[in-house]
Amino acid sequence: MSKARVVFVVLIFAVSVSSSLRAHHSFAAEFDANQPVTLKGTVVKMDWVNPHTWIHLDVKNPDGSVTRWMIEGGTPNTLVRRGFTKKSLEAGTEITIQGYRAKNGANRANGADMILPDGKRLFLGSSGTGAPSDGPDAGQK
Amino acid sequence: MRSRALGLVAITLTSTLGLAGTVGLAQSQPAAAARPTTAAKGKVPRTPWGDPDLQGVWDYRTITPLERNRELGTREFYTEEEKKTLEARAGRRMDGPPEEIRPGLNHAQYWTDPGRFVSDGYRTSLIIDPPDGRIPALTAEGRARQGRAPNRNNAVNASWLDRGDQERCITYGLPSASLPTLYNNNIQIVQAPGTAVIVHEMIHEARVIPLDGRPRLNDNVRAWIGDTRGHWEGDTLVVETTNFNGKHNYRGSTSGLHLTERYTRIDDGRLELRLTVSDPTVWEKPWTVLLPMRPTEGQLLLEYACHEDNRSMFNLLEVARDAEKAGKAPTSGGPVDDRQER
Repeated sequence: MSKARVVFVVLIFAVSVSSSLRAHHSFAAEFDANQPVTLKGTVVKMDWVNPHTWIHLDVKNPDGSVTRWMIEGGTPNTLVRRGFTKKSLEAGTEITIQGYRAKNGANRANGADMILPDGKRLFLGSSGTGAPSDGPDAGQK
Repeated sequence: MRSRALGLVAITLTSTLGLAGTVGLAQSQPAAAARPTTAAKGKVPRTPWGDPDLQGVWDYRTITPLERNRELGTREFYTEEEKKTLEARAGRRMDGPPEEIRPGLNHAQYWTDPGRFVSDGYRTSLIIDPPDGRIPALTAEGRARQGRAPNRNNAVNASWLDRGDQERCITYGLPSASLPTLYNNNIQIVQAPGTAVIVHEMIHEARVIPLDGRPRLNDNVRAWIGDTRGHWEGDTLVVETTNFNGKHNYRGSTSGLHLTERYTRIDDGRLELRLTVSDPTVWEKPWTVLLPMRPTEGQLLLEYACHEDNRSMFNLLEVARDAEKAGKAPTSGGPVDDRQER
């Protein structure tokens, strides 16, 4: 590998790290990266509030009882700009959330991914769904 | 023109969720092979009272980091190949599932809006001075102040006061609100005779800037976002901000922080900010950022009323108290401020 190539690989990694660590709120103060959860349930409602949205989800337990979870989502401004509106997630929709549980074991989680009833993942716009997978086109800055 | 990528995301959503009326925020087409421009080209639009017209909503999203990677030394621009690779990666991170979740990252990346494009075409850092593209060395006091910033790993979260003003939704602070971050990377400029207003979408702060030559406030009057005065130098709006209260602690900044913003309309599609940051108590010399912006083409600034329902504050304090009851070590606050500001 040439020196220039090594520098570039380092560069790519550095940009990746710097952009991934920015957050308005601390993940570590609230959520546990060592407690991943997968929650399959029914949407009760979605709170469109600043600074972050919250999805209320009823999850059926093996014994038939129901536990209500709260899932933290993105900020309303960004969701709207990405095409996700108040009509996008109706009460009664069956979804699966993959995320990380609250550190204190509360029934709260930080949402990482949302899977819709048809198996599609929300905002998954890469290969096969029409969004570009090989970079922006010439019309973009 | 809306970006193809966002348009396709909207189409994807429409097909999967039955959405209507999507409002993807446009990122505009670049000037061909954009390279830094230092002087206005063509005729700058004027307000009815004759000032250069800088009004509009301006988008400053970019993947270019504030500080240049040290490996690049004094190299100001990426190659075409590097630029394409970085932008392709940014597009995948925005549109696809998260590649990795780890502490400090609290959103899937497609729920964020940091942009997809290298700044100014090919820039390797937003900092253009010093020539290494990095914030100058800290003074001893600067190092000490950075160590006292809230939200550090050793924060015990005894109260909300252990968290930073951004996390508490008090203010995004300066110069933070003028630099790209995870989302809400927009400002609106509104002008009237003798006054300009800059509205920052991040924690929706409005800075009212007198342009009439009035003296600045007495040194005893201090504010979270300081006291601002402006004037015109040719077609450039020069904005000076002092009188900070020193509570924001941007990378150690003090009440002696002095910001000089220079806004110039370069052509129809571009507003250029040159921001010089000075705080001799903290940095050995001033540093300057170049941040080109594009119009959002009809998109409004959206209110970001951060304090509306800031449940994270309640939740993290609950986590800390529960940890105490369980006899566990104090809760780690986790890094936030310095990293989010890049």
